[in-house]
Amino acid sequence: MTGPSDRSPIPDAVRERAAAWHVRLGSDRAGDADWLDFEAWLARDPVHLRAYEAVEQLWSDLDALGVLAAASQAPSPPPPSNVAPRVPRAARAARRQPAWLGALAASLLAMVVIGGTFGGLSLWAGRPRTETFDTALGERRTVALADGTHITLNGGSHLTATLGRGERRVVMASAEAAFDVARDPDRPFLIEASDREIRVVGTEFNVLHQGGAMKVTVRRGVVEVRPKGAHDAGPLARLTKGQSLTHRVGQASDAVGAADPDAALAWTTGRLVFQGERLSEVATTLARYGGRPIEVAPDARDLRVTASLNIGSQDEMLRSLSDFLPVQVERRTDRLRLSLRR
Amino acid sequence: MADPPPLIAAYMRKRADLVRFFTLRTGSPATAEDLVQDLYVKISDMAPPPDMRSAEAFLYRVGSNLMLDRNKAQRRRAARDHAWSQAAGGDGPEPVAQEPAADEAVASRQRLERLVARLDRLPPTVAAAFRLHKFDGLSHSEVAERLGVSRSSVEKYIMTALRTLTSEDEP
Repeated sequence: MTGPSDRSPIPDAVRERAAAWHVRLGSDRAGDADWLDFEAWLARDPVHLRAYEAVEQLWSDLDALGVLAAASQAPSPPPPSNVAPRVPRAARAARRQPAWLGALAASLLAMVVIGGTFGGLSLWAGRPRTETFDTALGERRTVALADGTHITLNGGSHLTATLGRGERRVVMASAEAAFDVARDPDRPFLIEASDREIRVVGTEFNVLHQGGAMKVTVRRGVVEVRPKGAHDAGPLARLTKGQSLTHRVGQASDAVGAADPDAALAWTTGRLVFQGERLSEVATTLARYGGRPIEVAPDARDLRVTASLNIGSQDEMLRSLSDFLPVQVERRTDRLRLSLRR
Repeated sequence: MADPPPLIAAYMRKRADLVRFFTLRTGSPATAEDLVQDLYVKISDMAPPPDMRSAEAFLYRVGSNLMLDRNKAQRRRAARDHAWSQAAGGDGPEPVAQEPAADEAVASRQRLERLVARLDRLPPTVAAAFRLHKFDGLSHSEVAERLGVSRSSVEKYIMTALRTLTSEDEP
């Protein structure tokens, strides 16, 4: 990796080619042939690899800038930064004032000064920063944390994420979120939901916390659940692929069972899958997608629902449901009411 | 026996190619083998994304991200060890092994200062396309749609930005 050639300047033409490769491979149209051509180019001259690594380094430096800008903008409401996580994606994209670069620049310089007092710590290992993410009812959004973890938030969710040096911590208020956690054995990933804490090393799973109940469903890897704050206690449960845990706040017990992770995570791809849930539970789930509150008449509450719905408007989803359930929908001004069809 | 899922099938076809590619990228056949093994674990129970056009390109991309994540984790560990030794260490001589970490931190600070100066100089359209792709995560096609220009213009803008941001001359 090191040697006299490492210090030699990279010719402009090579730098240009490296940038062009990064763009070509980052395109949604890239195919197998592009990667094979790229490999042949890399193999032709060691300076090509150095040039390409410089572009990758730039890419990851920019991630650090994005996180900084977001963190520095979070406490003061206006003017919002274009990369602040509180602003929904559509709203961010609609704003195009060139001032975003200035905001980025200011926050970076501030960080550089702080960095100096830390003895030159890199941005990756800087002070813990808390980011807040909210979604409106019916909105679905995926956010990337600086460690490479991706969180997909379902509508009506509120959570905060803090990437500390010794741990990564997410606190879920009422929320549903799917996590794809970047592996980092030195920094456990912890999620607080109700009075439970979920501990992860690197995995993909879904957490639903709403109305005092929480449910964790694991698609990949292993997660542990323990009472919040009980760091020394052993876990209440260790869940692996295809298992779920449900818990109601305040209760001592947790129920572990088999669950279909694809069904639990279907919402991340625009579908809702029900496998024998009560209609009353289905109505609670639908409320997350906006529209009027849904009331279920006592005679229909225990109907079991097995269905796969496209996530759409409340009307569309209820219409699909009433196609295969014996229920009728009454529209009132302030709410909808589902009851057994007579 | 049923056919394997498309990603696994592509992996089986491409395994040797991937090891060769990552050997070139990392300079180490052993690291490349590890990476390609990790890649298998990663894709083994993954549903291919609905908009995936090429399973092969997807494997290269996921593998490259794993490689970069690994590099990043190593740098973080180095920085943490360095910070700890600064916090705990008295005024004794720094162990030789710490020096590269300190150099690296200074170099990265200078790099970021230069980067900010250059971000400020990008023409507005270039900056808009670059921001939508890099910070808002839109694909080239989505950026094109958003800005009402062709996909190839978007790629030119992003290239211009990269060229400006990686150039070595003074800011």
